[in-house]
Amino acid sequence: MFGRLRLTTTMAIRSVSVVFFLLIIGGRWIVFADGSSGGAGRNGYSGGAWSSAVAPSNVGLAVAVTVMAGLAVAFTVAYSRRGSIGSPWSLRRRKHALQPSQWNAFFNDQGRLSDGGVKFLKKVRSGGVDPSIRPEVWPFLLGVYDLNSTEEERDSIRQQKQKEYENLRRQCREIHKRNENGCDSKQTAQSSNTEDSQVLDSHDIAEVNSSKRSIQVEEESEKLNSKSILQDGDCEENSTNSEETETSPLLEKEEEAESHDTVSSDSTNSEETETSPLQAKDEAECVNSEETETLPLVAKEEAESQDKVNQEKDTLTPSPNPKSQAEEEFNTTWQRIIRLDAVRANDEWVPYSPSQAAVSDKKARGIATEVGLNDYEHLEPCRIFHAARLVGILEAYAVYDPEIGYCQGMSDLLSPLIAVIEDDALAFWCFVGFMSKARHNFRLDEVGIRRQLSMVSKIIKYKDIRLYRHLENLEAEDCFFVYRMVVVLFRRELTFEQTLCLWEVMWADQAAIRTGIAKATWGRIRLRAPPTEDLLLYAIAASVLQRRKTIIEEYSGMDEIMKECNSMAGRLDVWKLLDDAHDLVVNLHDKI
Amino acid sequence: MGAYRAEDDYDYLFKVVLTGDSGVGKSNLLSRFTRNDFSNDSRATIGVEFATRSIQCDDKIVKAQIWDTAGQERYRAITSAYYRGAVGALLVYDVTRHVTFENVERWLKELRDHTDANIVIMLVGNKADLRHLRAISTEDAKGFAERENTFFMETSALEALNVENAFTEVLTEIYRVVSKKALEAGDDPTTALPKGQTINVGGRDDISAVKKPGCCSA
Repeated sequence: MFGRLRLTTTMAIRSVSVVFFLLIIGGRWIVFADGSSGGAGRNGYSGGAWSSAVAPSNVGLAVAVTVMAGLAVAFTVAYSRRGSIGSPWSLRRRKHALQPSQWNAFFNDQGRLSDGGVKFLKKVRSGGVDPSIRPEVWPFLLGVYDLNSTEEERDSIRQQKQKEYENLRRQCREIHKRNENGCDSKQTAQSSNTEDSQVLDSHDIAEVNSSKRSIQVEEESEKLNSKSILQDGDCEENSTNSEETETSPLLEKEEEAESHDTVSSDSTNSEETETSPLQAKDEAECVNSEETETLPLVAKEEAESQDKVNQEKDTLTPSPNPKSQAEEEFNTTWQRIIRLDAVRANDEWVPYSPSQAAVSDKKARGIATEVGLNDYEHLEPCRIFHAARLVGILEAYAVYDPEIGYCQGMSDLLSPLIAVIEDDALAFWCFVGFMSKARHNFRLDEVGIRRQLSMVSKIIKYKDIRLYRHLENLEAEDCFFVYRMVVVLFRRELTFEQTLCLWEVMWADQAAIRTGIAKATWGRIRLRAPPTEDLLLYAIAASVLQRRKTIIEEYSGMDEIMKECNSMAGRLDVWKLLDDAHDLVVNLHDKI
Repeated sequence: MGAYRAEDDYDYLFKVVLTGDSGVGKSNLLSRFTRNDFSNDSRATIGVEFATRSIQCDDKIVKAQIWDTAGQERYRAITSAYYRGAVGALLVYDVTRHVTFENVERWLKELRDHTDANIVIMLVGNKADLRHLRAISTEDAKGFAERENTFFMETSALEALNVENAFTEVLTEIYRVVSKKALEAGDDPTTALPKGQTINVGGRDDISAVKKPGCCSA
C-alpha cells in the first residue's frame, strides 16, 4: 500500500502530463485524477487504495488551493523518498535488459552488427544485458571484438588472442621457475623440490606446445644473469618461434598489441610503453574505427585525452630499469598478494554461474596446481577453481602490464568477469579491455585516482554548492571518502548483479566513445545523456548527493562521511543511481 | 538534527591505526575487537575503513576510533594521509609468514615519519593459533620490540586470543600518557579531547608488554 503511494507520487511529479494528485487528509488518501492516460502509474495503483479512495465532488476554489498544497506534500514525499531502498522510480525508468532475441537480430548475414552497434549500445546503456548472453556480449562491450567485425574476423581474433594469452601464461611459469630455482640455490636445496616438480607438472598439463619445453630448459641455463633474464627470454623466443610469440614479456607489450600488423618498434624503448600498454599506436587513428577492426583494444586510446596522456608521461619518468624491477616485484610482491586475494575472493558469484559452481574437486585442484596455488585447504572446490583462475589471469596481466602489475582491488574487478566468461583467454582480454581505463586507479603515482577524486569533487561543487561548502568546512572536499568506490568501481557497495548492470552501462558509454558513435550528432539527439568516459564518477557523486541532507545536517567530520560511504553496501538502487548519474551528465557535462 | 547520540558520550577520543602487510589479519583484529566478529575470507581492504569502540579507563570512557588501512604498499601514499592525528598504532605481522615480519621495520619507519613522536606503538604478532606453522619466534619479536621501544603482544583474531588485551593495552597507555600530560600542562591541546582533565597516572605494567613505550622517551 505504502509502496504504491510512493509510486504514484513519484509519477505525478516526474511525468509531464500529470495524471494524479494525492492529498493526505487525516491519514486518508484522496486521489484526484484527470481521467486520461494510464501507464505504469495507474497500473501500479490499480488496487485497493485506488478503489477505496474518495474524490470529493463539488468542491470549488478551496479544493484548488488544497490541491496545490497537496502537490507540495506529494512533492515533499517524493523528494524525501529519493534514494530510499527499492525506489519504484527506477522501475519506471529502467528499460529492459538486452534480450537474446534482440541481440541475435542485430546481426546481419555475415555476423556483423548491422548498424555498427548503435542500437546495441543504446540498448545496453539504458538497461544492461540479460545474464544469459553476457558471455557473448561483453567481448564487444570491452573492445575485444570490434563492433564492426564479422563473425569470421572474430574467429581469427579469438584464435590469435588465445595464443597470446597462452604465451603470457607460459612467461608466468618461466618466471616462477626462475624464481624457485633462485630460491633453491639460496635456501633449502631440497625442500622446494616438490614445488618445483609441481611447476613442471603444470607444463605437462597446460596446453603449451611441447616444443616450448626445450626453450624453457635452455632459458634456465641462462638465468644466472638476473638483470637480463627477460631480455634473454625475449630473444630466444623470438628467434625460435617468431611467428606466434607476439607477446614478449614484461614491458614490451606494445609489440603484442601491434603484433601482426605494422611497426616492430625497437623493443628496448620502454619509455613510451610505460604510459600505457595499449597506447603505442594511438596516434595512428582518431575517429574511425574501421582501421582498428583487427585490434580493437588499441582504439581505446583515443578516448584518453591528450593532456591526460602528457600529464602521465611527465610523472612517469622514474624507474630506471623497469624490466628487472617488474620481475623482481612479480616475485617478491605480486605473486604472493595475488594468491592471498584469490583465496579470499568471496563466493557471491556462485548462484550466477552454476556450471563453475559445480566444478569437480579434481578439476579444481588440477587447475590450482597448474598455477601454483597451494594455500586453499579451507575452500570448497568451486572457490578453489575460482581462485586458481584468478591467479592465472592476474599473473598474466601483471606480465602484460608490468607498470601496474598487481594491485589489490584488481581481483575485485576480475572476479565477476571470470564468473561470467568461462574461457580464460577471453576473460583475460575482456579484463584487459576493462583495465584500459581502470588501470589508472592502480598506478603507483596515484595520478589517476587523484584526477578522479577531484572530478567527483567538481561534480558535487557544480551541482550542490551548499553541500560542497559543508565538505570544505570539514576539510573533506578532496572526496577521499569515495576512494574505495573509485578504485573498485562500486564493487564493494553493490551486489554482484547490480555491479554487473552498472559496469555494462558504463562499458557501453565507453564503447560508444571508443567507436566514435558518441561524436555523431546522432548521439546528442537520441541518447538522453551523452556518453561519457566518466559515468562512474557521476554515479559516485550521485550516491553522495543522495545523502546530502544527512551529510549537511548530521555530519561534522570527514570520518562520519567516510563511514556513511563505506556502509552504503546493500543500500543502493543501481538504476536510481544511474538515473541520477545521467541527470548529472546532462546538466554538467559541458561544464566539466 | 544533530541529535545527541549515546555513542558520542565519551571523555576521550583516540585515533588508532592498524598497519602491516596484506593478509596479516588487520581487518579481522578490528572486527574482533569492535564487533567480536571474524571472517575467514574478508576481502582486501581498499583504501581505509574504520570502526569504533569505547572502553573504560579508570572512571573515564575512552572511545577508540580504529583505522584499518590497506596493506599493499601501492596504496600508501594516499592512506598516509590517514595517519594524521593518530595517537596509537598496532603494527601487525603474521607469525607464520616471515616476510611480514621483515617488513615491520618499513612500516615502523612510515609510522614514525607520519605521526607524532608520542604515538604509542604495539607490535602485534597475529595468527598465533597456527602453532605448527610458526615462522617467527616470540623471543625474536620481543627482542625487536625492545630494541624499537614498542609494546609487543601475540594475538589470534580467530581464537579471540589477546585481541582485547592488545587494544586495551594501547588505549590505556595512550590514556596514561595523555592524562599525565594533562596533569603537567594543566590543559592539553595535542589530542582530540573534549575535556582536558587531570587524571591519576595509574601504574600497572602488567600483561605481556615488554617495555615502556616509545611515547615517553623517543
